[in-house]
Amino acid sequence: MGRYIAKRLIYMIFVFIVLTFLLFLLYQLMPANRAYTDAKAELAGLKNTLSAAEQDTKFQELYLKYQRRYGTDTDNKLILYLRWLGLYPFYDGKCNGIFQGNFGFSYQHNADVVTVVGPAIRNSMLIGLISEICVLGVTIPLGIKCAVKKGSRFDRGTQVFTLIGFSTPSFIIYILFIVFFCSILGWFPVSGMKTPGSTATGLKNALDVLHHVALPCICLTFGSLASIMRITRASMIDALSLDCIRTARAKGLKEKVVIYSHAWRNALVPLVSIFVGGFFGIISGAMIMETMFGFKGMGLLYLNAVKNADYDLIMFMQVIYTFIGLFSNLVSDLCYGLVDPRVRISK
Amino acid sequence: MKDKKENLFHKLGRWFTRMFMGPKYEEKMYQKSKAAEDGEKKPDDSELIVSPARQVLQRFLERKFAVISVAVVLIMFCVVFIGPSFMPKYYDSYTETTQKDLPPTMAFMRVPAELQGDIKMIDNYGSFTVGLSNSGKVYVWGITKIGATGLDVKHIPEEVQNAKIEWVSAGIDHIIAIDENGKFYGWGSNQFGQYAVTEKILSNPNLEPVPAEVLDGVDPDHIQEVTSGYQASAILMDDGTLYIWGNKQAYSNIESFIGRTDIEDVDFTLNYVVGLTDDRNGIYCGVRGLYNVARASIGDKGVKMFEFLDGRKIESLTSTTKSVCCLLDDGSIALVGDFPVDTIQVPKLAEGEYFTDIKGGAYHYTACTNLGHVYSWGGDHFYQAEAPTQKISGVTKVYTGSFQSYAVDENNQLLDKWGLKGYLFGTDDAGADIASRVVAGGRVTMTVGAIAVIIEILIGVTIGLISGYAGGAVDIVLMRVAEVFYSIPLYPFMLILSSLLAQVSMTQDQRLLMIMVILGVLGWPGFAYITRAQILVARESEYVTAAQAMGVKEGRIAFKHILPNIISVILVNIVLSFAASMQTETSLSFLGFGVMYPQPSWGNMLSRASNATAAINFWWQWLFTSFILVFTAVCINTIGDTIRDVMDPKSSNDK
Repeated sequence: MGRYIAKRLIYMIFVFIVLTFLLFLLYQLMPANRAYTDAKAELAGLKNTLSAAEQDTKFQELYLKYQRRYGTDTDNKLILYLRWLGLYPFYDGKCNGIFQGNFGFSYQHNADVVTVVGPAIRNSMLIGLISEICVLGVTIPLGIKCAVKKGSRFDRGTQVFTLIGFSTPSFIIYILFIVFFCSILGWFPVSGMKTPGSTATGLKNALDVLHHVALPCICLTFGSLASIMRITRASMIDALSLDCIRTARAKGLKEKVVIYSHAWRNALVPLVSIFVGGFFGIISGAMIMETMFGFKGMGLLYLNAVKNADYDLIMFMQVIYTFIGLFSNLVSDLCYGLVDPRVRISK
Repeated sequence: MKDKKENLFHKLGRWFTRMFMGPKYEEKMYQKSKAAEDGEKKPDDSELIVSPARQVLQRFLERKFAVISVAVVLIMFCVVFIGPSFMPKYYDSYTETTQKDLPPTMAFMRVPAELQGDIKMIDNYGSFTVGLSNSGKVYVWGITKIGATGLDVKHIPEEVQNAKIEWVSAGIDHIIAIDENGKFYGWGSNQFGQYAVTEKILSNPNLEPVPAEVLDGVDPDHIQEVTSGYQASAILMDDGTLYIWGNKQAYSNIESFIGRTDIEDVDFTLNYVVGLTDDRNGIYCGVRGLYNVARASIGDKGVKMFEFLDGRKIESLTSTTKSVCCLLDDGSIALVGDFPVDTIQVPKLAEGEYFTDIKGGAYHYTACTNLGHVYSWGGDHFYQAEAPTQKISGVTKVYTGSFQSYAVDENNQLLDKWGLKGYLFGTDDAGADIASRVVAGGRVTMTVGAIAVIIEILIGVTIGLISGYAGGAVDIVLMRVAEVFYSIPLYPFMLILSSLLAQVSMTQDQRLLMIMVILGVLGWPGFAYITRAQILVARESEYVTAAQAMGVKEGRIAFKHILPNIISVILVNIVLSFAASMQTETSLSFLGFGVMYPQPSWGNMLSRASNATAAINFWWQWLFTSFILVFTAVCINTIGDTIRDVMDPKSSNDK
C-alpha cells in the first residue's frame, strides 16, 4: 500500500509539473508585461523636464530594473518557469518563487494572491459543503429506492425528472429558481453575502448570512441532483443484478441487509470517484452559480481574474485547480481500496 | 390483443424501419410480429435469426419515446439547418431601438373592428398603435404595456373616453390627444415630461416642459398637425406656430424649434426633429449640413438640396428613423438620409400620376397617388414595403406604423394592411426577433456540439485503439497523455484558452472553430478510455485470434475487425457526448467566453436575461430558448439511453 501511494505521488508530481509547465507557457502568451507598465508608470511619475533622448534612456534603465525585479529579463521559458517555481535565482541571486512561499501578487486586488484566494475558498467551501451534503443526503436514498423498485411508477416518475434535470444546463435551473424564489415569492435576496451595511453580530449575523446563502445553496443542490441520482441508480441496478445478491437472498438474508450491505457496497465502487470528486470540487467553486448570484467564491474570483488578465492570480488558482484535480484522483483511487477489497489485494 | 389497432408509434416505427432497412425487411418484421401476436402461424426458425444490429434496431423501434425523440431531433436539425434559407431577412447584428424587450404578440396590426370602417387617423412610433375614429373615440392596440414600468397605455383615461377627440399621436411610450374644445390630454409614461408638467420636470435642464399654451388649450380647428417622436411631441398650428416639448437628450435639436412661428411641417426621426420652414426650399433641423443631400430614388447619387429642387418647392415632409422624404409641389419626391440594406426601390409612376399623401414608418414609406394606387418603398425587413399595389385601388389616405402600413379609402374604410404582425417569441434587449435568433443560435450550438464530438471521436478512438491493441510501452505512454488531458480542469482551462485566443483578432467563424477545437481536444480522453477498455476485451476473443492466425495485418485487425465490433458502445457515447458538448458550449457562452454577441447561440442568448429583474419582467427572453434547449437535450439523452438499454443483453428480459 505504502509503495503504491509513493508510486502514485511520484506520478502525480510528474503530471503536475508537466501541466503547470504547459499552463505557464500558455500564460506567457498573455499580452501583459508588468515590467513595461510599471516602468512607464514610474517614468510618468517623474518630473517631466527630461529631453526625449534622456527619457528614452531613463525608461530603458527603469524597464531593466523592473524586468530584473520580476525576473523577466530573459526569454528562456524554462528559466522563467524555474524562477516561478523558485528553483532558479533571480538577478539578485535569490530564489523567490512558490517554494519560497511567494505565490504572486494580484494587481486587480492590490494584494498578495494568497490573501485574495483565502476568503474566496472559505465562501466556496461553506456553500459547497452544505449543498454537497444535501445532494448526497437526497440522491443516495432516492437512488437506492429507485434501483430496488426498478420499473415501478415511483421509479419511472423519478426517472423523468432526472432525465430533464440532467439535460438542463445548470444556469437554466438557477434562472427558474431566481424567478420563483426571488421575484414571485420574494423569500430570498438575489445577491450578496449579507445585508449591505449590516453590523449585526452573533446569532443575528449568522441568520443573516444563512438567509443570503440559502438560495445559492438550494440552486447548487438542485443543479447537481439529477446527474448524481442517475449514476447512483445505474450502479445500484448493476450491483443488484450480481450473482452474489442472488446468493445472499437464497441464504435467506433480510432484504435490508441484502440491499444496504451486499448491493450497496458493490454499487459504491463506481460511485467513489464521483463522490470524492464532488467533495474536492467544492474548493474549485461553482463558476456559473457564483456569477449569477454575485457570490464571492472561487469561481467568480477566477472569472474576474480572467476578464481582467490578472496574471498571477490566474496562475495561482490554476495551480490550485490542477492540484485539487490530481489529489482527488489519488484519494478516490485510495478509496477504491477501502470500498473494494479486490482492488486492495491486486495492489 | 388480436385486433390490436396499429397505433401511431407502431406506424412511426414501421416508417423508420422502411427508411433504414427497406420495404422488404419492414414487411417481414411486421408480419412476424403480427404472426407472433396471432399465434397461428409459426414462423420459420430461419426468420427468427436476425443479426445483432437488426435486433437492436428492432428493439429500439419498440420504444415509443425513443422513436419520438429521434423524430424531434431530426425535425430540430431540419429547422435549424434548412430553416434559415427560408428566412432570408436575418442578420446577427440586427438591432432596433424602438422594438426592445417586446413580449410575444401577433397583435401589431389587429385594428379594432369598430375602427375599421371609420378611420380618422392612425399613429404609431414604437410598439403600440393609436387610432381615432370620426366619432372621436380613441383605440389602442399592439403591445400596450410599457417595458417594466407597469404602465399600460391601453388604460385610456376616463376623461379621454368621454370627450370627443380630434387629434391623437403616439410616441415611444406615451400618447397625446386633443379634444374638440382644444383640451390637451396625455397618458403613458411621463418620466421625461411627455405630457404633464411637474416640479421635477421643470427643474431638469434636459427636459423641455409642455408649453403653457398647450396645457391651456389650443384651437383644434387651427391645428395643422400633431406628431410625436421618441420621448417628445409637437403641435403645429396652421399659422406656422410650433409647440414642441420632450426629452432633449433624445432630440438634441429641439432648442432650434422652440418658439418658431414659421414652420410649415414637422416630423421626428430617431435622433433629430426635422421641419420645413415657410421658404420651403430645404429641410430645417438646426444642424448645418445634415439632411442636405437629396436624391430622387434610393441608391442614386445625391445632390445638394438647393440644386435638386431647382426652383421647385417642398410641400410637406415625413420621416423614418434615419431618412426624410419630401413631397414636392410637382408631385415628385426627394429622399434625404440613409436607407437600410434590404430596401425596395421607389416605384415608377405612370404618366400623369403623382403622390398625394406620404407617410413614413421606421424604415419604409407608404404613399397613395391621385389615381388611388398605393405604393411602398424603403426598408423591407418585415415585408412592410411590399404594398399590394395591384390588389387594391381607391386609396385616399395611408397611415404607417413602425413596420406596418394601412391603406384607407375615401369612406374611411380600411382597405388593406401589411407589414409586421408581431414577434412569435418576443424581442430581446437589442430589439431583435428571438424566434429567428433561436433558429440561428440552434445552428451554432448544434454545429459546435457535433463538430466537437467528431474531433473527440477522431482523437479518442484512434488513440484508444492504438493503445488498447498495441499495449506495452505505447499503451502506457498514451494513457499517461490521456490522463494529463483528463486532469485538466475543464472550465477554468477553457476560460483561459478562450480569453487568450480572443487576443488574436479573429472572425466569428474562426472563433466558432476555436471553441469546437477546444471542446474536442479537452474531451477526447473519455472516448480513449472506453475504446481501450473494449479493445482489451475484444483482443482476447476468438475472431481476433482467427484473424491473427490467418496472417491478417495488425492494423487491419484493429480497424477492420475490432472497431466494427465495438462501434455500438462508441455510438452511445457519441450521442451522450453530443448533448454534453452542446451543454458545455451553452454554459461557456453563457459565461461570456464562448460564442460572442452578436452571433447567437442558445447560451449567450440566455445570459442577458439571467438577472432577477429581466428574468421576471422579460420572461420570454429566456423561457422559449431554455425550453427548446432543454427539450433538445432531453431528446438526445433519451436516444442515447435507449440505445444503451437495447444493446445491453442483460436488460433484454425485464421490462
